[in-house]
Amino acid sequence: MIQSLADGILVGAILSLGAIGLTMVMHILRFANFSHAELLSIGAYSALVFDALFSGILPILANKIGPFSMTWALTLSMFCAMGVTGLSAMLIDRFVFKRIREKGDELSMVFASFGVAMIIRNVLGLIFGLKSQLYSNDIVFAVMISSDPMLLIKPDQVFVLLAALLIMLVLHFVLSRTTFGYALRAVAENPSLAEVSGIRLSRVIALVWIIGGCLAAAAGVFYGLNNHINPVIGRDLVLPIFAATIVGGIGSVYGAVLGGFIVGIAANMALLVLPSGYSPAVPFMIILALLLVRPHGLFGEPQT
Amino acid sequence: MMGLISYLVFFITIASILAIAVLGLNLQWGNTGLFNGGVVAFFGAGAYGTLLLGGDPQSDHIGGFDLFYPLALLGGAVAAGVLAWVVGRLTLHLRHDYFAIATFGVAVTFENVMRNAEGLSGGAKGLRGFTRPLEAFVNNGFTYNVLFLLVVTSLLVCTYLFLERLIRSPYGRLLRAIREDEIAACSLGKKPDRIRLTAFITGSCIVGLAGGLYATFYAFVSPQDVLPTLTFQLWAMLIVGGAGNNRGAIFGTFLIWGAWSASGWGLSRFAPVEVQLYTGTMQFILIGLVIVGMLLWRPQGLFPERLVVSQSGCKSK
Amino acid sequence: MTIKRIAHKGTITAGALLCMSAFATSASAADCSIKVGAVLPTSVDWGRPIAEVAQYAVDLANEAGGVSGCDVDLILRDSQVDPKVGVDGAKALVDLDGVQLLLGAVSSGVSMPILTSVAVPSGVMMMSCCSSSTGFTALAQEGKSKGLFFRTFATSGVQAAVGAMVARDKGYNSVAILYKNDDWGQDISKLIAADLESLGITVTTSVALNDAQPSYRAEVTQALKGKPEALYLALYPTEGSAAVREWISLGGTQNMILANSLKSDEFRDNVGLQYLGNATGTDTASPRSESASAFVDLYKAKFGSEPNGPGLSNSFDATLIALLAMHAAGKDASGSEIAAQVANVTDPNGTAVSADAAGFAKATEILSGGGTVMYQGATGNVRFDSFGDVSAPAVTWTFTEAGTKEASYITLEEVDEFMASVN
Repeated sequence: MIQSLADGILVGAILSLGAIGLTMVMHILRFANFSHAELLSIGAYSALVFDALFSGILPILANKIGPFSMTWALTLSMFCAMGVTGLSAMLIDRFVFKRIREKGDELSMVFASFGVAMIIRNVLGLIFGLKSQLYSNDIVFAVMISSDPMLLIKPDQVFVLLAALLIMLVLHFVLSRTTFGYALRAVAENPSLAEVSGIRLSRVIALVWIIGGCLAAAAGVFYGLNNHINPVIGRDLVLPIFAATIVGGIGSVYGAVLGGFIVGIAANMALLVLPSGYSPAVPFMIILALLLVRPHGLFGEPQT
Repeated sequence: MMGLISYLVFFITIASILAIAVLGLNLQWGNTGLFNGGVVAFFGAGAYGTLLLGGDPQSDHIGGFDLFYPLALLGGAVAAGVLAWVVGRLTLHLRHDYFAIATFGVAVTFENVMRNAEGLSGGAKGLRGFTRPLEAFVNNGFTYNVLFLLVVTSLLVCTYLFLERLIRSPYGRLLRAIREDEIAACSLGKKPDRIRLTAFITGSCIVGLAGGLYATFYAFVSPQDVLPTLTFQLWAMLIVGGAGNNRGAIFGTFLIWGAWSASGWGLSRFAPVEVQLYTGTMQFILIGLVIVGMLLWRPQGLFPERLVVSQSGCKSK
Repeated sequence: MTIKRIAHKGTITAGALLCMSAFATSASAADCSIKVGAVLPTSVDWGRPIAEVAQYAVDLANEAGGVSGCDVDLILRDSQVDPKVGVDGAKALVDLDGVQLLLGAVSSGVSMPILTSVAVPSGVMMMSCCSSSTGFTALAQEGKSKGLFFRTFATSGVQAAVGAMVARDKGYNSVAILYKNDDWGQDISKLIAADLESLGITVTTSVALNDAQPSYRAEVTQALKGKPEALYLALYPTEGSAAVREWISLGGTQNMILANSLKSDEFRDNVGLQYLGNATGTDTASPRSESASAFVDLYKAKFGSEPNGPGLSNSFDATLIALLAMHAAGKDASGSEIAAQVANVTDPNGTAVSADAAGFAKATEILSGGGTVMYQGATGNVRFDSFGDVSAPAVTWTFTEAGTKEASYITLEEVDEFMASVN
């Protein structure tokens, strides 16, 4: 019980990072981006490449940080991967979504995102192969916090949780204290009015993609650290991330954070009552149940 | 030559079955504006319903009632309709993107239940033990396929004519009115919720009919047939063909399914032996590029929706 | 981006080189060619190696003179694990390319509709490496497969029985089961649970792992609860390594019994050999003859690692048996004629032939002279019953630095005896 709760929180942190980017894009651009989770894959794989590169140049970087399986090289790589992913997200928007936005409707965007997801996933598979890979082959043993009730926690998970919370905190300050944050909110409220007031819409949109990409890359690396990396992690994660976004309410960054935790916890707790064969359906049960009570998610507002 | 004809008969059969499903989806999205992200659940309900009702008796799960085939097929469509009624009552009031995800969840749940509930659906190994109607009397596989094709295409034509009549009727006008401006429709005393629900159920029954035909043709259905891939494929067909246009929906189906098959065939034929192992992956990239390219080039689809004048007297619209 | 591009170019060039060398080896045989179709999921992680092995077996056969003096041309279609796509591919192979022999598919959910809607109506023989559903046996018993369907995948009964024997011999008192939630996993989990129960071993939990889940933490936590002495794993390498890494890091027992799908380098490398010391695998086996290791040696020479991964040896056998049957049936034989010859290729009283180029050449010679052979394949002394199912002796194995090594050999009689005793 407590174990499931703890696991849920730790898994939820990764989902939250993914959901923040998704909710921002869905809010500003008003479309359900099914390719968002592929940004996690791009992040995870570019970190893998940088990691190999850095560890090769400076072997000392390959040492582990404290009890974690995170190395200095991987930490550096994560920042590089955030850059690469943010940039790719922006470029994908520039070459695909922006053009479709100009002539098509919202559903065209949704479909284009399906197509983009398919392309990214398979190109990654072609380059890196279809097998799972790991940042570190070592298994870090979980630490027993208490034996009755049983509670085991892996150091990596704590690290990921703290890092995720730190990233969220930084984002919070960016959104609430900077001009960009205000601009973002203005655009979300009313794009035309914001443009009239001198906000450059294209710049805000580009920044939203970059932020979404950065957070996704971090989520991808954290996921890879705790689990494994393969070309289909985007496919595996897209649904829980969507669930987190919707539970939180589209457009609400804090909702997305909370949504991630709720979905993580619920998915872990569900197995206490359901046979494990039904686990893929759990995130949707949560969505359905929540939407019946609150048709716009926890913090979402009716949007036109 | 004979081989080519035999293959074409087969190809047109599958494409026609899928086209029926896309027509059902078009009623929901193209005419009513319902973003059904879980089409595959209704397709699956039709498929499983038909096989359970029309199959041979089985020991390890319910069903196998060996019903007269048209009844079984009808039963499949009704099963899809019942599912649509339940889902619609729960989710139709949601905003469209929430509705899309909620129905998507329904589809995942449906697949999941079919995979796990062995007593109901045979579990992951699927549902077999179905004798295709009249197969015993037609000894030749090719002749049977031709006969089946005739049945499927006539059902496709019937569905098409039915939907064309429907969207030209006052009811069809109402659907579009609700899609375009719900509040205006309300002000005229119409009940959007009710009408949306009937459109959702009707569309789902049509999708279920396609599912029933599909399962009949393969004499088999398993959870692998009801994965989200199918939802994606059906939607791609509708978008490329042109949402809101029934001819476009049919054309889009043939085009996308044709491209899907042809790219696999072409790669297996022309790619060198060792590269063949990567053809599956490359095929997915190609399909992705086609979809993105299409949306960039012509987002309204090949056959955009035509504004239909419902009565000859209303020419001054 | 640059790094990715370089890596990308690298694959293409390597692919081109490989394909040139493939042409070079096969160009030596005859000037006619026979088409054979294969429908395999080349776009999924565990599917691609299965297809590679099938292609390799065809290359071997061509090296050994081909089938009926002709080069075999394997046309590979990707099933994408989508029944529609697989059936369409199979139909195109049969109608457009005129193949009389189909290899595949892997998933039962794809093989079944291919069999019922393409192979049987068109009278084409189908040889699957890996479809495990009991539905095929039932279909054959009802006479609906017209003797056209074969598979080299030993029924899950043997795997489960040997797994239970390992648990008994190791003296485990309680076992938790983790299984893949597909037809094979559902089947084997039920079988082994029954076998274990009848041996008086407690099954603490039986947990299904679904495909494509981001994390198996919850499932593993579930399995940990009963504090079992050992863990039985009927999983594929991807979810297998994810689940076992969680299991070990949460302090679960390292006493593991593995189904043959986990006989994989990916699994060993990702989990780490140091944690697999007490892991015992089960597999169907080659008979005790000097040619037994032929496949392993060949595979090592070609791919640089042991043939470890789900379905590899099955795929190899499926291809070679089908090709030999095709040879025995003669040029331009129909699917049912080829199917009728399968018994002559796997005749227990026939001349033993090994699973390599020399064995293939020898077999073709004997078969051309009207004799019968006993093909001794990578999965064992393959023999089909009247429903196209195969039974085989078994081995247990453990992981080593280089791959795996055999721990013990269990004859077909011992397996049968055990299975009779627990039922």
